[in-house]
Amino acid sequence: MGCCMLRLENVTVRYGRIAALHEVSLEVREGEMVSLIGANGAGKSTTLKAISGLLAPSAGRITWEGRPIGGLAPRGILKAGIAHCPEGRRVFPHLTVRENLEMGALLRRDRAGIASDLDRMIARFPRLGERLRQAAGTLSGGEQQMLAIARALMSRPRLVMFDEPSLGLAPNLVQQVFAIVREIRQEGLTVLMVEQNALAALTLCDRAYLLETGRVVGTGTGAELLASPHVRAAYLGGHAAAA
Amino acid sequence: MMDQALQHLVNGTVLGGTYALLGIGLTLIFGVMRVVNFTHGELYAFGAYMVYALVSLLGLNFYLSLVLATLLGVALGALVELVLLRPLRHADIDSVMLVMIGAALVLQNTEMWVWGGVAKMVPTPFVGTPLVVGPVSVLPLRLFVFAVAVALLVGFWLLLDRTRIGTAMRATFQDPQTASLMGVRVGLVHTMTFALGSGLAAAAGALLGPVFVVSPTMGDLVGLKAFAIVILGGLGNLPGAAIGGFALGYVEEFGAGYLSTEYRDAFGFLLIILVLAIRPQGLVAARERIG
Repeated sequence: MGCCMLRLENVTVRYGRIAALHEVSLEVREGEMVSLIGANGAGKSTTLKAISGLLAPSAGRITWEGRPIGGLAPRGILKAGIAHCPEGRRVFPHLTVRENLEMGALLRRDRAGIASDLDRMIARFPRLGERLRQAAGTLSGGEQQMLAIARALMSRPRLVMFDEPSLGLAPNLVQQVFAIVREIRQEGLTVLMVEQNALAALTLCDRAYLLETGRVVGTGTGAELLASPHVRAAYLGGHAAAA
Repeated sequence: MMDQALQHLVNGTVLGGTYALLGIGLTLIFGVMRVVNFTHGELYAFGAYMVYALVSLLGLNFYLSLVLATLLGVALGALVELVLLRPLRHADIDSVMLVMIGAALVLQNTEMWVWGGVAKMVPTPFVGTPLVVGPVSVLPLRLFVFAVAVALLVGFWLLLDRTRIGTAMRATFQDPQTASLMGVRVGLVHTMTFALGSGLAAAAGALLGPVFVVSPTMGDLVGLKAFAIVILGGLGNLPGAAIGGFALGYVEEFGAGYLSTEYRDAFGFLLIILVLAIRPQGLVAARERIG
């Protein structure tokens, strides 16, 4: 594992007077895959939004390779090399598949590089290649998730953040999405993933953080958390045996 | 009988072109910014006054004046957005509406103050004798106005459909937060949208000012009609606004031709009442469809 790439120190985020994150600290090292697990409303998505600049922390520090990035606009964060693949896919429904992919590369100026990345995405997701001229809103849920992942990769990020990539997908598609996340990570990208499916998230990752009501209440390797009685009882339920 | 209908069809098409310009500007602003832009009619009047000032007072070339008047409309739109709307980005729609009504009043009264209440004529290089093709006759100036309006519509569509900035605008229209994750500067898109929409209104005024007369209240009725067009097509629907513009042009021309000239302006509003009663989502089905 490389050195620390992304670090959050005592980050607090408020929605009005309500604190959604209380002094959250975590780090992601280069080449690592880190999962954030926890129940609905635990602050997982809020953490990603604070990193990508959609929300400004009211206290604490966010640093990227030692440089403070807390409070930067999403554009600045993306330029720094962090892509955020948001919850619920959020493809642009009336743009074509190709236009959605091009939006991912909006900040890039290397035409040739964009074209070759587009070809790579089509090779990786042939379904998207067949539907390049189709409006993204007409794709199935699984195809939209593939498009959202491909769009995030089009910015050539060094860290990619996935927010609930398996949400609302049929079981066979869930497996496909996790296989893609594993591939991406094997290609050397650093991954920070939020997942409600704790079993999959912990099996895939190197390390994980457990969030409860806006606080980090546990951390360790995926295997350690899988073995933790608290995690097993609260998040894995009857599935724990399958791990 | 057939000849008369053909003449109304031509007149309606010519009128519809400028109505489409007005409607597209207004619906774009609503779609991207959720701003009900009451200054739209005043931007139209502004474009007309600028052409008057440039041609009659400064003696500039007519065609150059049209271009400059449109660009000045773009600049005024950008100014309104930066000074009034940017600080209200997260305000509720009612506050923004009140501010825009105030801005419209200020613009109109400034026009009254600067130019006086007497209507102005704008001289044009076109002859006053109509072109006659078979049973149909049309004034050369009106034909020119229609051609420019169509060229602007096509240019605007190409900008939205074929350029990076156009794709970014459409993405912002559909999902501003995700657009910002792609690196779009949403604030800049808002300024550009308002400036472009205002420029289209000013272009319509610059084109129609010389056809009719230029007066400080000319923006009132046009502002209302622009809303009518946008409601016809469905709020925030660009192709809908173009179709609504032509629909209004035809209804007015045929209504004036066959029913009553005096109620010309009423026919359009009658159509809106009908559309709102029967198809409140507008004539064109797909809502929020852009490009």
